[in-house]
Formats: sequence, structure tokens, C-alpha cells
Amino acid sequence: MMSLGTIGSAAVMLALALSLYAIVAGIAGAVRRDARLQTSARLTALAVFVAATTAIVVMQAALLTDDFSVRYVAEQSRIASPTWVKIVTLWAALEGSVLLWAWLLTAYTAVLAVSAPNTVLRPWALVVMNAVQLFFFSVVAFAANPFIVLASPPLDGPGANPLLQNHWMMAVHPVLMYLGFVGLTVPFAFAMAALITKRPGTEWMRLTRRWTLLGWGFMTAAIISGGWWSYEVLGWGGYWAWDPVENVSLMPWLTATAFLHSIQVQERRRMLKAWNLLLIVLTFSLTLLGTFLIRSGVISSVHAFGDGPVGPFFLAFFVIVTLVSISLVVWRWDQVRDRADLDAVVSREGAFLGVNVLFLAMTFAVLLGTVFPLFVEATTGDRVTVGAPFFDAITLPVWMLVLLLMGVGPLLPWRRAETQTLSRNLLVMAATAVLAFALAFAFGMRRPYPLITIALAGWNLASVALLLAGAIVPRARITGRSLGEVFTRYAYEHKRRVGSMVVHLGVVVIAIGIVGSGGYRVDQQLRLPYGERVAFQGYELEVLRPFSEQAGGRTSAGVEVAVFERGERVTVLNPRINRFGDRQMLVPTPSVRYTLGHDLYLALAGAVDPNQDFVIIRAVQSPLITWIWIGGAIVVFGAGYALTPGDRRLRRRAEATATSGERPADAGAEA
Amino acid sequence: MRARRGFARRRVVYALLGVGVLAFAGFMISQALNTSLVYFILPSEYAQQPSQYQDRRVRLGGLVAPESVRFDDLDLQLTFDVTDGLATYPVRHVGSPPELFRENAGVVIEGRFSENEFVSDNLLIKHSEVYEAPKDGHIDIEALRESLQ
Repeated sequence: MMSLGTIGSAAVMLALALSLYAIVAGIAGAVRRDARLQTSARLTALAVFVAATTAIVVMQAALLTDDFSVRYVAEQSRIASPTWVKIVTLWAALEGSVLLWAWLLTAYTAVLAVSAPNTVLRPWALVVMNAVQLFFFSVVAFAANPFIVLASPPLDGPGANPLLQNHWMMAVHPVLMYLGFVGLTVPFAFAMAALITKRPGTEWMRLTRRWTLLGWGFMTAAIISGGWWSYEVLGWGGYWAWDPVENVSLMPWLTATAFLHSIQVQERRRMLKAWNLLLIVLTFSLTLLGTFLIRSGVISSVHAFGDGPVGPFFLAFFVIVTLVSISLVVWRWDQVRDRADLDAVVSREGAFLGVNVLFLAMTFAVLLGTVFPLFVEATTGDRVTVGAPFFDAITLPVWMLVLLLMGVGPLLPWRRAETQTLSRNLLVMAATAVLAFALAFAFGMRRPYPLITIALAGWNLASVALLLAGAIVPRARITGRSLGEVFTRYAYEHKRRVGSMVVHLGVVVIAIGIVGSGGYRVDQQLRLPYGERVAFQGYELEVLRPFSEQAGGRTSAGVEVAVFERGERVTVLNPRINRFGDRQMLVPTPSVRYTLGHDLYLALAGAVDPNQDFVIIRAVQSPLITWIWIGGAIVVFGAGYALTPGDRRLRRRAEATATSGERPADAGAEA
Repeated sequence: MRARRGFARRRVVYALLGVGVLAFAGFMISQALNTSLVYFILPSEYAQQPSQYQDRRVRLGGLVAPESVRFDDLDLQLTFDVTDGLATYPVRHVGSPPELFRENAGVVIEGRFSENEFVSDNLLIKHSEVYEAPKDGHIDIEALRESLQ
């Protein structure tokens, strides 16, 4: 019988060969306008998906049956691990992650091959998708093959990285991240197809609008869940440390967010063609650069991904992708050049352009801070890290400007704003901002950034309220229906618009959470003698007893801490230290009491020593931190709402009015 | 024609504005980088140029010197010496020793030198498979540096 490793390797090689065929057939079919070749390329996309799925199934089978003759299983899995850990071990290390990434890519390509409308762009977009796929399968086959068969398999393995199997969130976060990366590969592929076919109009972005939003939504969810994982696992009570691994996930998110806004300018005003193309190229290549930076070991990170053999592959692919796509833009410059010009800075497109510049500036600053240690080491030999203060100093003022523009932009009309309505709206928003500022001040906030953020939160809430009122009140007046009824109808008919309001609302909620937890957290080490109550921030903490437990290959040692509030016992927290199998590494696992006002976060600061009559606990109180996760959920819900399919009849009518409404503007620009 | 000239003039204004914003941003970025660079050094490197790292946030790597560890569990003050074999400095850290903290363990501590004492607010244990703690008292500096990175 063939071993699982051999079958897996064969499936990967098959996927590689089929991707190669799909590229050749796709190019030939597109150039010769040969429908049969094009169909063949499309069907091949499905075959690649089947081959990649086989590889994934084989790997899961090997993990679940503890087949240690497969190298990846031997290095990453363990018999005693619970089943869910074995399943997620697929993406607990480099080789499996790249395989998963490749598989998701084939799934998206297959969906595109089946469902993308039959346009001139489709064959080329599929060629690009297949080329990206070819790269990933080459990495799997030649640099990070998880299916290598071991001649003398071990009896048991060490198990997955303890930091990863310590929390179920890790089962979710990487998958969301890859779904986001892969989702944004689709607009990239169509952008390249648009350049190749000399059609850099709005077609490619209209076709991929949903993919872009889908990728962005997944990426947002991934970043938020990654933050929550850090909070629940890393034990210092924070969620974002400006670590390289975090930074490289933030950078493509920033450019994708910019892209999401600037494509609307092109759709409505036929402007920013080159800008949009470059943004999506940047987004895609930043995912590759990021993967190179954190997987090659050139940058050290607390997340310790280690140095793998895939670094040079990703670096080479990054260079190729960037060079080829920028050359394409330059080559097609005649088609790409904008012919329209900004009518007025105070307009929707002006605000979108402004927010784009801000996001790009932030991306640049984050990139600089992330790679700067490399430059310093290369030039002076000194080893340095760029601390969080740098990133805070650079990004906080930019975020303030983003929040400012986020309130104004949606209220501005396209082309040119009427000053009368605008100044009335701005007055209402400014008044709300001042009110919010005064309230925060009255509550004792004195630091500039938190105060400004709260004021801007008020500014944005007023903005959303004005937007909704402006849309609903006149409709209710004309139709005579109730406000609630009109709102439901409006929300159903304008999903993208309402979705964007929800997303912006979520961003405000996140900002408030960051203000509270970032500006006003209390972090203290406490000596807690057994049986004595010790005061902490309005609570009293009492260590009841030490405990230890063993389950699923995991050994925990910790203490039970009773939490009293105003003399009443409100909960018992169990901060502990986990050890997985024979691994050396200890994972301090905090225990958190979540409330809407603030979290109480307890982590063991040292060993639980049976000879001591006390334990030392790190206690953190983070005000409003839960609102970050709630805000994140609101943002993701908003993106999801905008993605839900609308009434087809309505959509067609909206498209008809959009194109007829745009024609005069376009004609004016051409003249 | 007039429209075109106005258009060109506006372009120039935009370009100048852009350059101004970029210059300002560049200045801010270099300032922020300069103040938040944290150097990674070993005790012997500090010994060579103490003035350069005085009152500046650094990450100091080394081994916990044997028989130097004191922990005051009432004040939660941890003191120990950190060494790379060539130079040794006393460290004061507020907080409990982490679980794997012990003599000869590789540590990276973050904080500032004040006079010749290092005041730390962050203590990380580096349990590396690469570097073996010295048995005979001799420490290979390069291996140590690599293992602490």
C-alpha cells in the first residue's frame, strides 16, 4: 500500500503540473480567442482544486491517524493531543500553512472559473490566479514539502507549538488571514488582466468588488481575532505590541482599506486609474513581502516563526510580481493615464483621496519601522529594535486625521460640495465633538490623544446620525410611512451604503476601546498571601488554593483567585501555567473577567511554589477593552451586510441609473 | 487658455504642498526613529562605551550570574547580576522572577543604565537549544549573542 506521504506529494505535484497547463492553455486560448482552450483552462482550475483538496485530506488523515512516517506529522503532532488540535495542526507550522494557503487559492480560482462572467478579462485573470497558484505549489513541492516520508518514523511527536494550541482562537485566526490574502488576490488578478487586455476601466473592479470586500472583511476579522488571541495568551494584558508579525498583517490591510475607498472614485468619476492599479499591486506584494519577512527569520519576533527555507522563494516572487506589474502599468500608461481632474478638494473624491494618502503614509511608516533594524544591522552591525513609541508617535496623529475625514467624507457629495448644507452639517458634528470632549474632560480625562479621540468619536457618531437622518426623514415625509419602516426599506435597498455606515460605526467603537485600554490601563504585580484579601482597583483578590490538572496532553498548574467587589464575591479566576507534553516551553495562561466597563486580567507572574504561603500575580485592569472586540464584530458584520446579495431587480435599476448618471460627468471630463 | 493656466498653477501649488508635507513627514519620522531605537547590547559592549548608552533605553542580554539572585517578596524587588564573562553589572527589576528564571539562564532585560546599575522593567528568559550554559566558566561571546537574539 502506498503511504500517505507519497499520495500527498503526488497530489501536490499533480496540482503543480495542472496549474502550469492551465497557464499555458489560458494564454493560448486568450491570445487565439480559442473558446475550447479557454474552457479547458477553466476545467483545469477545477481539477487543480480537486488535487489540492486531496493533498489537504491526506494531510488531515495523516494527522488524525498519527502517521509519523509523514515528516510534518512527526515534527508537529502528538498522539495525546485532542482531535481539534490535530486538525488545526495543519496550519500550526510553516509547511502546512503554505499548503493551506495554496488550497484556499485553488478554491477561489475554481469558484472564479465557474462563476465569473464571460468577459475578455476572465481568461487572463485565471492565468494570473494559476500563476500565483503555481508559485505556491512550487514552494510546497520544492521548499517546504510537508509530505516527505521518513525512513524511520518516531513513535510520537512533540506536538504543535504550545502558544498556538493554548487557545481555540488560533484555530481561527490564520485561516481568516489566508482567506483575506487570497480574497485580495482576485482583484489583483483582474487588475493584471485589465492591463494585459488594455481595458483599465472600471470593469475589473466592478467584477471583483465583492471579492475585494470579502478579502478585506476576512483580513479585518483576522487582525481583530489575532489581537484577541494575544490578549488571551501572551499574558501581558495587551493585544498589540507592534511586533513584526503584527505589522506585516497590518500593512496589506491598510493598503486594502485605501483601495476599497479609491475604487469608488474611479467607479463614479473615472479618476485614479493608475493609483488603483498600483494600490492593488501594492496590497498583493505586501502580503508576499510580509510572508518573506516573518518566515525567513531575517526579522526576529516574539511570535518566533523561526527561519524556514521558503524565505528566498517569497522574496523572489515578491520581486517578480512587483517588477512585472509595475512594468505592465508603465507599458499601458496611455490607457491608464487619468483624463479627468479633481473639480474641488472639498468633495467626496477629495476626501477619499485624502484618506488614501493617509493610509499610504501609515503603511510606509509601519514598513519603515519594521525593516529599519535590517538597515541598521547591515550598515553599522548594531542590533536594534524599533520600539512601540515610534509606531505610536507616527500612526496616532494619522489615525486622528483618518477619523476626522471618516466623519466628513460620506457627507460630501461627489464633484463639489454645496457650502450651505455642508456647513450646517459640520456645525452639528463639531458641536457633538465639543460635547463629547467636555464629557470626557468632566470624567477626568486629561491626556491629549484620548481626549481628541473621544471628540472625534462624537464627530463621527453625529456624522452617521446625519447621514441616516438625511436619507430617511425626507423619504418618511414623502411616503408618510413610519421612520422604522423607511429605515428597514432603506437598509434593504442600499446595502453597500448602510454596510459602510455600520463599518464606520464599528471603527468608532474600536477607537473608544483603544482609548480606554491603551491610555488608562493599570498594570501591577501583587503579592497575594493565601486566605488574605488584597485590594486592587476597587476589587479585593483572595487566593483560595493552588490546583493542578491534566487533560489532553496538557498539564496545568495554577491558583484559584476569588474576586470580591464591594464585599461580594463576583467570580473566581484561574490563572495558570500550561505545559504541553514534553515541550520545555511554559505558557502562562491568564484568566480574565470580561465586563463592558473594564476587564480584570490576572496572570501568574512566577512559579506556584508549594513551599510558599503566597503567590505573585500580575493584575491588569483595562477599561473598555471589550469594545475593541465588539467594534471588530460590528465592522465585520457591516462588511458582511454589504456583501449579502440584494434584490436583483433593484441592483439592475441602480446600475442603470449609475451609468446614465455618470455619462455626462465622463463626457465633461473628456472634453 | 486661461483655464489651462489656472490648471497648471494649481498643479504647482499641489506639488509644492506635497513636497512640504513629505518633508515634514520625513522630519517627524526620523525624529521618532531616533528616539525610539532600542539597541541590543551585551554587558562587555556597555563596558566599552558606557556614555553612549547612559540614560537610553536598551536591551541587555547575558547570563544570570551564579549566586547573585536575591528576591524580596515583600517589595517584589528582584536583583541579580548579568554577565557575559567579560563584564558584569547589577540589575534591579521590579516584579517576580519568571518561572524559568535561574542561575546561568540566558536573559534579555529591557530598561536603562543608571550609573552602573541596570534598572529593568521587562525580563525575558531565553531558553535556547543553541547555547549551552557554561560548565567551566568560559563563555563564547558570539554563541551567546546569537542565542539571545
